[in-house]
Amino acid sequence: MRLFYELGLRSLQRQLVYRTAALAGLATNFFFGIIRISVLVALYGSRQEVAGIPLQGAITFTGLSQATIGILSLFSWYELMNNVYTGAISSDLLKPMSLFHYWLSHDFGRAVGQLLLRGLPMMAAYAVFFGITTPDSTWQWIAFILSLIFAWLVSFSWRFLVNLAAFWIPNGLGIVRFAFILSWFMSGFLMPLRYFPDWFVKLCAFTPFPYTINTVVEIYLGILQGPAIIQAILAQLVWGAVLILAGQLVLRLGIRKLVILGG
Amino acid sequence: MIHNFSLYWRLIGVQIRSQLQYRLAFFLDVLGTSLITILNFATLAFVFQRFGSIAGWNLGEVAFLYGMVEAAFGVMDMLFSGFDPQNFGRQVRLGRMDQLLLRPLDITLQVFGSEFIMRRLGRIAQGLLVLGVAIAMLDIQWTITKLLYMPVVIVSLVCFFGGLFIIGATITFWTYESIEVVNIFTYGGSEMMSYPMNIYQNWLRQFFTYIIPAIFLIYYPALYFLDKPDPFPMPGFARFLSPVVGLGILWAALLFWNYGLRHYQSTGT
Repeated sequence: MRLFYELGLRSLQRQLVYRTAALAGLATNFFFGIIRISVLVALYGSRQEVAGIPLQGAITFTGLSQATIGILSLFSWYELMNNVYTGAISSDLLKPMSLFHYWLSHDFGRAVGQLLLRGLPMMAAYAVFFGITTPDSTWQWIAFILSLIFAWLVSFSWRFLVNLAAFWIPNGLGIVRFAFILSWFMSGFLMPLRYFPDWFVKLCAFTPFPYTINTVVEIYLGILQGPAIIQAILAQLVWGAVLILAGQLVLRLGIRKLVILGG
Repeated sequence: MIHNFSLYWRLIGVQIRSQLQYRLAFFLDVLGTSLITILNFATLAFVFQRFGSIAGWNLGEVAFLYGMVEAAFGVMDMLFSGFDPQNFGRQVRLGRMDQLLLRPLDITLQVFGSEFIMRRLGRIAQGLLVLGVAIAMLDIQWTITKLLYMPVVIVSLVCFFGGLFIIGATITFWTYESIEVVNIFTYGGSEMMSYPMNIYQNWLRQFFTYIIPAIFLIYYPALYFLDKPDPFPMPGFARFLSPVVGLGILWAALLFWNYGLRHYQSTGT
């Protein structure tokens, strides 16, 4: 635990160094937010509510999803894969902790850094310029924060698993990119899954993707209530556990055939 | 001219050969990049099923915009990758720009040929596919002028986005680092132009009408292709300004690029 904390802290500190980059990233995310709001406002037209989501809720959704891009590293994460290709993985493996734990703590620091530098400022900007809704009760806030943490856990264990493809494929960037793009569609990042047809939402539920952004958004907006919240958070935990186990298994197979080239 | 063309061909030929070395990886890469377009279109289709239309535009009409912008951006991204600010900034930082300057060849041509990304073919193909689906969904009253104007609009879009890449690359002569604000215009611009411009608030639309005249590149031509009325008080010829704006931006970008080249100072690496 102590090691987790220390590694996370280093990773966080590294994030905080790049403040100008974060500001520029924030500006870009915000601009895309404006486009997404314009689209939703025009889609709603004179309607007050669609699929159980009021217009202000839809606007808040764009803010939340833009804010989580950095926290969940939605666009890319190739660090582990790159370490396999450069051979740096050998020194990672020599560390007196499991590879998963090492990267988990590293990514936690990164996520916290992104939350501070991009997530919170983004929501603040949204609150000032567009108005956002907030959870109604303390319980809903707590559920939201828990679901965000577990969403990160699901997201990380999934990214870890996908990156392991590097052990088998000499140029796996395409596969990881493929996986990331699929996740935007099925996680409710592009649009809340509620707008999609039922059969498609049911299909998504068999994948870990909705348990990242969609769950967080639905809890924040109050679409899920009472037992449904607990059910959603439990589903996140189950998916987290499944993906972590799968990651361990695949990692073990991968290490067995790993050959590090010296020089 | 012919000499330049054969040089360009040799510059990119090497890259094409090397990118085709790992066949499976290349294939997955193409599939991966093209998947964005298909899944974005699927999202659009799902959402339209729920909402019906957006500000008077139906799914086919929006897909028409989207397919055209995607295909054009894909072509640009394949041809102009040498100027991609992210990539070019790194070249400047590492001093590779100095290497290029030492060669007895036109520098613009060298940068232009320095990066050619084959996997963008996927995005282009999918953009054209979406465009094809859109045309099939719509009942466009085709005329000879419309048929002739269509490729002109796509080329104009390519010039426009290419110009933005060149401007972004030129800025790195001073900053040595790609500035992310450029992304707002390139990636943000393509996202914005994928929807009818009348959905945006006045300030935003006016910025993209009078400061960066992106509205004439695709929105006005689309009004012409689809025979839709103009919701804004613009003269009729606004629908035909696409090549003026596209070539204008590219020309201005090249002027700025040449100005930047004269003031280039190496990082010393």
